[in-house]
Amino acid sequence: MLATLGFAPAVAVGQQSPAQPHVEALAADALDGRLTGSAGARGAADYIVSQLGAIGAQPLPGRFDFRLPFEFTAGVNDAGTSIAFGEAAWRESEEVQALSFSDSARVESEVVFAGYGLVVPESQDFGYDSYATLDVTDKIVVVLRYFPEDVDQELRGILSRYSGLRYKAMAARQRGAKALVVLTGPRSPNAGLTVPMTFDTAISGSGIAAASVSGTVGDALFEHVPDRTVEEMQAELDSGNPHVAGFAIDSVTLTLDVSVTREQHTGYNVAGYLPPTGAPVASDAKPYVLLGAHYDHLGHGLQGNSLARESERGEVHNGADDNASGVAAVLEAGRALADVERGRGVLLAFWSGEELGLLGSASFVDTEPVPMAEISAYLNFDMVGRARDNRLALQAVGSSPNWEGLIERANVPVGFNVQIQSDPYLPTDVMSFNGAEVPSLNFFTGSHEDYHRPSDDPAGINYEDLDRVVRLGTIIARNIANQESPLEFVRVEQVEQQGQRASLRAFTGTIPDYTAEVEGMLLGGVIEGGPAAEGGLLDGDVIVEFAGQTITNIYDYTYALDAIKVDEPITVVFIRDGEKHEIVMTPTARR
Amino acid sequence: MAEIGKTRAGIAALVMALVVGWAPAAAGQDGDGYAESDFLSRVRRLTIEGKRAGEGYYRPDGRMIVFQSERDPDNPFYQIYTLDLETGDLRRISPGHGKTTCAFFQPGSSLIMYASTQHDPESKALQAEELAFRESGQERRYAWDYDPEMEIYTFDRDTGAYDRLTNVRGYDAEGSYSPDGEWIVYTSMRDAYNRDLPAEEQKQLELDPSYFAEIYIMRADGSEQRRLTDVAGYDGGPFFSADGAKIVWRRFDEAGLIADVWLMNPDGSDQTQVTDFNSMSWAPYVHPSGDYIFFASNKLGFTNFEVYIVDAAGAKEPVRITHTDGFDGLPVPSPDGQTLSWTSSRAGGDGAQIFLARWDHAKALEALAAAPARGAGNE
Repeated sequence: MLATLGFAPAVAVGQQSPAQPHVEALAADALDGRLTGSAGARGAADYIVSQLGAIGAQPLPGRFDFRLPFEFTAGVNDAGTSIAFGEAAWRESEEVQALSFSDSARVESEVVFAGYGLVVPESQDFGYDSYATLDVTDKIVVVLRYFPEDVDQELRGILSRYSGLRYKAMAARQRGAKALVVLTGPRSPNAGLTVPMTFDTAISGSGIAAASVSGTVGDALFEHVPDRTVEEMQAELDSGNPHVAGFAIDSVTLTLDVSVTREQHTGYNVAGYLPPTGAPVASDAKPYVLLGAHYDHLGHGLQGNSLARESERGEVHNGADDNASGVAAVLEAGRALADVERGRGVLLAFWSGEELGLLGSASFVDTEPVPMAEISAYLNFDMVGRARDNRLALQAVGSSPNWEGLIERANVPVGFNVQIQSDPYLPTDVMSFNGAEVPSLNFFTGSHEDYHRPSDDPAGINYEDLDRVVRLGTIIARNIANQESPLEFVRVEQVEQQGQRASLRAFTGTIPDYTAEVEGMLLGGVIEGGPAAEGGLLDGDVIVEFAGQTITNIYDYTYALDAIKVDEPITVVFIRDGEKHEIVMTPTARR
Repeated sequence: MAEIGKTRAGIAALVMALVVGWAPAAAGQDGDGYAESDFLSRVRRLTIEGKRAGEGYYRPDGRMIVFQSERDPDNPFYQIYTLDLETGDLRRISPGHGKTTCAFFQPGSSLIMYASTQHDPESKALQAEELAFRESGQERRYAWDYDPEMEIYTFDRDTGAYDRLTNVRGYDAEGSYSPDGEWIVYTSMRDAYNRDLPAEEQKQLELDPSYFAEIYIMRADGSEQRRLTDVAGYDGGPFFSADGAKIVWRRFDEAGLIADVWLMNPDGSDQTQVTDFNSMSWAPYVHPSGDYIFFASNKLGFTNFEVYIVDAAGAKEPVRITHTDGFDGLPVPSPDGQTLSWTSSRAGGDGAQIFLARWDHAKALEALAAAPARGAGNE
């Protein structure tokens, strides 16, 4: 029966998938988790280079090496930060620590306490400006971390979006402040602790000196404030009343000396080229098709974005699905494309630095080893090895009106139950190319409970379906390479400001399944020992109500997350096996 | 083959039903213990481009499907497309203007039959009017208008020639061929236009022309057109069984509220009611084995259509196949009976698309054998 041909596996039963050796080589412990800039990542690049050679690919036009180096910030360290006022001075990291995005600078000035240091844009229909009555020009601003603790859920949803430390630093700088000092109030989670230096916000400076201080330092400073302790002041602010104002602390002059060092390292993208087989199309017809996947991963997971649980912390994060699977897909698609007619040249790219913030693809877009204007389309493969129930998400489809037709025709013989998603603002390298107006498409088989954990191993890979992803990608790339006109690009409006999500501090341990098309939010997994798991939620549950808010999609869920409070139990209504259930869970603090 | 979910009468009737409290029973009907995955595996979305697509019918060799889809930016109405299931090659076979619906491959030839208003000089103006309406940001409830200009055509895939088979005022559509390719069974509303209607019937025509729809049969060249049914209310969506011995169709009551599946001989004799499901049970199609009939029903709720099967004799209660909210209907088995094509809103968005899945025939027979006798579960 030929109607079922589309369901036939690409490889006969019992035969090894051609993608499997790639996944096993890249996810081997020997490559040590492929952290960008590490020996393991260099080993992975060597493997990819050898495979490109085997396919018969060439270096990019005008180049002699498959490797494309780029510089990046590998880490940030506090190189000795101190604070002094009155008779006292502190320099231990438990007492004072640079914020990771701080500039290095020594500032001596008067002090203004500016409450939570929050500025909510007027578009939010809620006036809140901690600086409304204050002049902070050339002053050092002291603010509390987070946002008022006692406000209702609706207000939490608004305020939390503007409470990220980078956002607070920007607000202070825009008002002329010379430095920002952050104190975690006694009524907040992580009370009295300095803020750890996380790498994810450290890529560049913020144009202002910024540090966090301990409760001890905060108390000492408030000794210069008549009639008020830190706790009393915070209690007043915590009501959310926008008229509770900050004040100048006139009696002291503060000296803040912040010193941070950013380590510069070199990472390597790898890129190969399959030239057109016949007469090439004109350069204004965009003569390239680009396929890409990032090959870097988390190393031992010590950079702040690991989801390893306590017992496995520090182990090698092999990243078989994330993203040895995508690398294998691009290599095998490349091998197939090397053997077909190509009106356009095919570029095969392997990015590094993705896990550190899309660094490799951003560098490629900036330096243009191939002009962006000559790339007709970009196909990205990020986590394509864990297909379940025949589902494959195709994302960023909104970036071109041509994608739906291309996907439809190519998928007929492959037969995935494709989930079409329009949004191109994705946490993967598609973001870089969409920004450069290259029509982009992301292949994704969904998140899972081993995501960003040492257990993301080759044993979890569904090779039969990975081979089908390769077929689908190959057919789409071939059809683009041979169609007369390039794809049309459409700029999709970004719905929500990204980046403010850094303010998120409540941890639930839920892993959304982004491929799902359900009414509600389908869980692709729960983090073991996390609040969701403790509360009894399981992989496959569909959350339909969360802390009193109806959830119809992933966006509702992220908004609802903004509004929840650490250590405050919430009710979650979910569907399991067609039945409605309800549990209570208690979010914990994310440091 | 017109979708009930898009009929004016259907919507009006259902809204009425809700207002007067005819609440479809959700509880108790779902408890037959089967899940969708018991019958359907490797579910996949077939059509992706465009606002909506539906009614995917197989070529007799199973290698190609013909369907209707709204995907042309210049035409807000359905056009007819073929999709090669091996290569993914897509071809529009209707001329691109006018409204079209309900296509079917002629066995043993290069012809495809479909219904179209392509001869209507007004058709392009109607397209422009609909596009302007949509441009204005307004949304109307999706409605099928039973355009009296709808006539049955064939298209020859080898020569590209169109041939008009019907030429009578009144909606002629919902056609399908007999397995030997010699006959076409179809739906016509010509009875509303070929005589002077009494005042009451004239009012009925303005309210809902589908009331006048009856089943007709003609030779494949359009000759020997004759009427097979003569009961008030919408008779439509006829298909031959694979052995050519029976025609299955759906018959609405006069109010357009309740529909059931019926069988008859190709000469119109022996008209037998198969379901008594107290809901809108429509879009029937006989499995190639002849053992059972697929259909869609909103038994479980106003807009929640699901696919069911019922034994050909109608001796048992129907067995539910799909378990997904929204629309699941227009089920069509592949000629070898191993695959099911149906139209579903499960992909989200505001239009349905065509899905395919592997069909477990053995499991279906088992479930039908275990089903309670018809009426046993009712009061």
